[in-house]
Amino acid sequence: MNPPRNVVITGLGLISPLGDSVAKLGEALCAGRIGLSPVAENDRQPGVDGRGWPPVGAVVDFDAARYLGDGNLRPLDRAGRLVASAAGLALDDAGMDLDLRRQLEVGLVLGTMFGSVHTISAFDRRAVTAGPNYAKPMDFANTVINAPAGQTAIWHGLVGVNSTVSAGTASGLLAIVYAAELIRQGRSKALLAGGGDELCAESRVGFQQAGLLAGGGVDEEGHATAARAVPFDQRRNGFALAEGAALLMLEEEEAAHRRGARILGRIRGGANRFDPSGGTDPDRGRSVVAGALREALAEADWALDAVDACSASANGSVVGDRTEARALGEVFGDSLPTMALKSMIGEALGGSGGLQVAGLMAAMDCGVLPGIHGLEEAEAGLSATVVSARSRRLKVDRGLVTAVGIDGHVGALAVEKAA
Amino acid sequence: MRAVQNPRRVVVTGIGAVTPVGVGRQEFWQGLLDGRCGTGPVCSFDTSPYAADQGAEIQNFEGARFVRRLDLETLGRTSQLAIAAVRLALEDAGVDPLGLDPDRCGVAMGTTSGEPREMERFDDRFMDDQLDRVGPRFMSRYPCHVIAGHVAREFDFAGPNLMLPAACAAGNYAVSGAFDLLRSGRADLMVAGGADCFSRITYAGFARLGAIAPERCQPFDRNRKGMIPGEGAAALILEPLERALERNATVFAEVLGYGLSCDAHHMTAAHPRGDGAARAMERALRESGFTPEQVSYVSAHGTGTPTNDRLEGYAVARVFGEAARRIPMSSVKSMLGHTMGAASAIEAAVCCLTVHDGHVPPTIHFEEADPDCDFDCVPNQAREVPVELAMNNAYAFGGANASVLFGQCRP
Repeated sequence: MNPPRNVVITGLGLISPLGDSVAKLGEALCAGRIGLSPVAENDRQPGVDGRGWPPVGAVVDFDAARYLGDGNLRPLDRAGRLVASAAGLALDDAGMDLDLRRQLEVGLVLGTMFGSVHTISAFDRRAVTAGPNYAKPMDFANTVINAPAGQTAIWHGLVGVNSTVSAGTASGLLAIVYAAELIRQGRSKALLAGGGDELCAESRVGFQQAGLLAGGGVDEEGHATAARAVPFDQRRNGFALAEGAALLMLEEEEAAHRRGARILGRIRGGANRFDPSGGTDPDRGRSVVAGALREALAEADWALDAVDACSASANGSVVGDRTEARALGEVFGDSLPTMALKSMIGEALGGSGGLQVAGLMAAMDCGVLPGIHGLEEAEAGLSATVVSARSRRLKVDRGLVTAVGIDGHVGALAVEKAA
Repeated sequence: MRAVQNPRRVVVTGIGAVTPVGVGRQEFWQGLLDGRCGTGPVCSFDTSPYAADQGAEIQNFEGARFVRRLDLETLGRTSQLAIAAVRLALEDAGVDPLGLDPDRCGVAMGTTSGEPREMERFDDRFMDDQLDRVGPRFMSRYPCHVIAGHVAREFDFAGPNLMLPAACAAGNYAVSGAFDLLRSGRADLMVAGGADCFSRITYAGFARLGAIAPERCQPFDRNRKGMIPGEGAAALILEPLERALERNATVFAEVLGYGLSCDAHHMTAAHPRGDGAARAMERALRESGFTPEQVSYVSAHGTGTPTNDRLEGYAVARVFGEAARRIPMSSVKSMLGHTMGAASAIEAAVCCLTVHDGHVPPTIHFEEADPDCDFDCVPNQAREVPVELAMNNAYAFGGANASVLFGQCRP
């Protein structure tokens, strides 16, 4: 067995509420632009009172043909199109043409919470109301949770590993951790890794009914509370739902050098942990998240003061953000400047992990750490060094990316800028 | 990155199965060796609107027998099946989960549909214009990651948690993921398995594709008429060899390697020459240093659809050449139906048991040979065969293929 390989990032592709490239995302984040908009009246569902719902992070006017050309897109649903588009951008960014993809047996590790819960629901409802003989076979193909990964592999000719990782809002980051490990152990030479999810009525209703979306509650006087999806803010009350897809092109370092690839960064370490309290016990959660951070640091062989910034998963969730803040405090004290891009794009579920890495890499490129939009009074224990509403100049060479899921899934990733 | 110079050897020390032919390792294995058929008319919903009526359901499953720490009322059926399989596997391994270091224990589970019955409940509300009555239940029960999460919560495992919804190859993906985590030292005990429950969504889909057999599942038979949807769960306890030896555990088999590939061809139809399936087998053999001739048993994907079985025949002919005709290769789906995300986890358990026990299960309902399936499918009767090396093959919607190798644990 050969020694572990190094894992490098040679491309990045993303479709987000704030643009379709790292440069556009970074520019919007630093300028404090937000990608959230109100839910359209005509997009509400019967039987649900949508008043007081928080804004959503939609990819407005998304047109997959712009990224995928004029092939037959009909077999792909929205989730599949978002992921396949981000994959195309990442492959192009890495200069990975079809010959190279075949030669390197490029694979895909995709994080997704749902695949497409919209397609699954629509297929089922049609089979019940019109009869099973009228259910759509093309929809059935997309009811499996790995459909976006399969569709993307077909579209781009990815014949290597094809794996889907599901971990709620931690899906994307845990997919990257898993893919990096496959390369590290010499199982694959090149993998697209990240994730994606679509915005749809089914998931919006589900999260709203679970009380996880910002706002929608009732105050002491019976008035609907205003949505405050502000990560790490004292008065946060849930998250804003979003959509998007983001994929990194990960390669084994020597193979990447041999083909003359441009190196954007390195994955130095990662961790996949679980909080057995299922996100209900903040103390247990804190120690699990802190354990993940320490595992990623140890693998990277970084001292605490070697880390310049954190791209946090905080999204405005009352318990999740507190767990994350306490874990960062336990490991770093109040010394680690932290960005939380979900304040501007919302919670993109499977898309979030890759977008957080993209946000961190944008900060590395432009030397500015984006502020947390809307932050007024930070969660207890978070000093102004850690979180700030304003963007600040900061040289970022090494960063941590975190994932703290709603019900227990936890991830951490150590990312380094290319020398 | 931290160096791992000598990857650890990984062995299987416990097996738990909840299947249409039996619950628990012994009942399950005896059922298969007896050629017991677990398929029959569907009981859990009215099949009159469908052009089919056969299914492989688990009758009289009692989640309360297995779920102790979590509130049974908060769990969907798939999570209950998964917890049952894992509890049986831990008991089989003689491991008390509460006596372990939680940070060093993890879960890898596969599924095709997750908790589809929770989706059906949601859709019933949707069709009644009552979405405001969905309540918090949908988000705490439906998303598939909660299955691996519920297992970890039930047994207090805080290590790596991988939910891999790789459709009908998911169990093999879970075993391979757990294998790597143990080899590299990221965990000291992993449960790896798969689970799916019977659902009208899956049933409607396969019925619409015309893929469901009218009476019985007959893999590799010339007159085979299709698959039969089923449900179930299986879990393996995986641990490093040195740890198993320390505690004098029974070792069923060693996990020797795996190969994953993707057809990148079609969502529901396999590659016309079985190209991706062959690449997965070749990779598994190459990475673990075995030749095709060394394989003593193959657990086939063997769904019983005309196309799958034909392509599988092409793929094994390409990989094994002449040896394909003498290596026993059976499909337990003839007895269990297609248990979806559980299938390749159940079949991984089968492979471990062939290695341990020296018997291979039959392909039942076999009558007439198909020239496209030119191999020994162990027709109708189990057989005593010493198994040194077993290969578990699984193929999925989306074109994902996975082959895992299990063998005798030699010094």
